[in-house]
Amino acid sequence: MKLGVNILPLALVGLVVTIIVAFLIYVLATAWFSNAPFGLSDAPPQPIPFPHTVHAGSIEQGGAGIQCEFCHRNVTKGASATVPAVENCLFCHKQINAENDTGETTANVAQIQRVVDKYHDNNPINWERVHRLPDHARFVHEAHIRFLTQGESRIVTLPMGDEKPQQLPLSIGEACSVCHGNVAEMTEVQPQEGQSLKMGTCLDCHRQTNASTDCTICHK
Amino acid sequence: MVSNRIDHKWGMVVDIDKCTGCQACVIACQAENNIPLNTKDTFLQKRVNEWIRIERYWEGEYPNVKARYIPVLCQHCDNAPCEPVCPMYATYHNDQGLNVQVYNRCVGTRYCINNCPYQVRFFNYWHPGWPERLENQLNPDVTVRSRGITEKCTFCVQRLRRAELKVERQSGNRLNDEALEKGNYAPACVHACPTSALTFGDQHDDGAKIRSYFDDVNAHNIHHEHERETRGYRLMEEVNTRPNVIYLKKVDQYPLGKGDGHV
Repeated sequence: MKLGVNILPLALVGLVVTIIVAFLIYVLATAWFSNAPFGLSDAPPQPIPFPHTVHAGSIEQGGAGIQCEFCHRNVTKGASATVPAVENCLFCHKQINAENDTGETTANVAQIQRVVDKYHDNNPINWERVHRLPDHARFVHEAHIRFLTQGESRIVTLPMGDEKPQQLPLSIGEACSVCHGNVAEMTEVQPQEGQSLKMGTCLDCHRQTNASTDCTICHK
Repeated sequence: MVSNRIDHKWGMVVDIDKCTGCQACVIACQAENNIPLNTKDTFLQKRVNEWIRIERYWEGEYPNVKARYIPVLCQHCDNAPCEPVCPMYATYHNDQGLNVQVYNRCVGTRYCINNCPYQVRFFNYWHPGWPERLENQLNPDVTVRSRGITEKCTFCVQRLRRAELKVERQSGNRLNDEALEKGNYAPACVHACPTSALTFGDQHDDGAKIRSYFDDVNAHNIHHEHERETRGYRLMEEVNTRPNVIYLKKVDQYPLGKGDGHV
């Protein structure tokens, strides 16, 4: 059997095909097992960096300890949690800004000044959306927060994270972390840190908590 | 709580006697459910997409003619002929008596459309498009269906879901006639009807207005139609699809007879 001359181009073609197939499988697998659409990237950069560690982090760890629903005010009222208006930032940043800077603070006054300027120019801040559900899914924050934070005391095993039995009702902050992860410890909110917002996650929890699994509950 | 859902069974009563054929329901449905615009071309090709339509019939001979109107929408049949023929399980009956179309599962075989005796299922032959200004009026609670899938009346399930959550949050009561009316949660066609020809309600609710008609029609099937106390009947009752929409017969004060003059 003659080997040598003819096998080289064949081997090269085989190699190239293998690399292409492997790459495709890698891309599809990554996309499937990650959260963001085609999840090859992290959360998009925000127009003004917003460290949740500083705002929502606990006071012992140097944060301001603001509750989630103080800014995301619609979370207990409606479908969308909503990102606050610039006006709400000024609740605090009327005081905490470059004008009142004594040089002792670690706050990033330059960035804070941009927020204040936006407010005085009547400009909204175009925050980039991190968690996005597909168009055909309906998610009502209010109903889920109500389930986790109200009602009589009960122990429920949510199929999330370590699947430990949890004592309900939770506080609102804890309820948010059930799906979103511990946002208070994230400098940049990353969707990968929380639950996968895929249909399987929703269904697991709906089955476990005896909620309806009818298609029209979530799909519109 | 969300977990202990109340079992509703939605139903509608259409009073033909009150219907004037004004088409307000058609327009309301079009606006509520993101239905693509029907143009002259689509009419000529008989590919019109109207989840509720007014069928017009002429009675009598010219010049003694009367126009008759019947609003026809998805009947949400309990024995729905569209359901068993779907190879993708894209249409099914949910626990609230609604015949649900799951757009994501639909692959567009159109078996359901061919098997529907009421012709109330519609196929998207084209990608839906609106003039630029009209895109802002699309309802965010309803999916915009893409080309190649079937769609149909949902009894405005997006309104019912919103209503359920709201009533649950505020009072924990059952979503009854009063709550439906107070919050304008009834389907868009019902809400738009100027003569209140359409009535929507919960068949499991004893106090519902539609209850007496459903009780009567359910008690006397097609073979005992003459025993019914109300004017209720179902469309094509003989095919035994058991619709959740009941029609009330027209009461004609001056019926057309042979040799009658112009009324």
